[in-house]
Amino acid sequence: MDADRALVEAAAGGDRDAFDELVRRHQSAIVGLCRALIEGRGDAEDLAQEVFVRAWKSLRTFRGDSSFRTWLHRVAINAARTHHANRGKLMRLFRPASPHEEDPPDTVEGIDTRLARRDLVERALATLPPDLREAITLRDLQGLDYREIAHALDVPIGTIESRIFRARQRLRPLLAPLVQGRTP
Amino acid sequence: MTCDTAAPLLAASADGLLDDGRRATLDAHLAGCAACRAALADQIAVRAWLARTPDVPVPADFRDRVNARIDEADGLFGVADFRAWTLRLAPLAALLALAAWLGIGAASSGPATTVATSAPAPTFAPSRAADWQRSVTGNALLEAALRPSGSGDGDVR
Repeated sequence: MDADRALVEAAAGGDRDAFDELVRRHQSAIVGLCRALIEGRGDAEDLAQEVFVRAWKSLRTFRGDSSFRTWLHRVAINAARTHHANRGKLMRLFRPASPHEEDPPDTVEGIDTRLARRDLVERALATLPPDLREAITLRDLQGLDYREIAHALDVPIGTIESRIFRARQRLRPLLAPLVQGRTP
Repeated sequence: MTCDTAAPLLAASADGLLDDGRRATLDAHLAGCAACRAALADQIAVRAWLARTPDVPVPADFRDRVNARIDEADGLFGVADFRAWTLRLAPLAALLALAAWLGIGAASSGPATTVATSAPAPTFAPSRAADWQRSVTGNALLEAALRPSGSGDGDVR
């Protein structure tokens, strides 16, 4: 049962208060997702706003095949892809990950704040090609299960398993100082 | 099972999402493959770290800005939302179509009108443009284009 169902139905009928409540419920996840998918904090927050505007405008097309949360993540993925295309960053993101080029996290010394740790993770994620980055973000940062991710990205579950495996393998050396330095 | 086919199962195993059948197959492979055991340990470690990534602080005015953008979008584009207008005007269009159909039906049930079939066919009158095209040859146009402009007027000083 989709916990958002009643709100979604009300919002689809034009109830702005209901939609505002949906924004309140999902804003942290969507801002976090946008932060993980594109560079630049300001751009990410702007994109997150755009995601909700798109959601509001296309809410009538939501058929309930998935949860609203999964559908909203799909809207965000599409918005991020459009953002990349518009900004001409897609080719750069498709380059093979290189620790030297992307200036990955190489130490945890002096890193005490939660935001700094988040920043390191985002920098590591930025080294991944988009398909791996989307899959690992939806799984390990957003907490979607494989079926939800497959629905959000419109690919088979086997592909999701493979992408998540490869993403973690690529992140492993980048996060090695974190993994070895502290117990999660 | 090979290491290549085991790889996707390692991710699902780290997430605790393997069914019994695939888990048994993977366990049999892991029993004899140190590399895949190490890869599974890496999967678990990275997953644990990423899962503990702190949430992003959302700006206090985020919802206000979303609402403002929705207001703006509705204001600017609401009147140009063709799909919405199509839906709104569909009943009116149906009524007009019905009225037109009824009107045609009433007209066709009246006295038959005769159409004069002996009317003279319209004759084609050449337009002035066609006459001009006939009188101005391609050579004349070329000559006009190549002729020095302002000749004799002292434009080039």
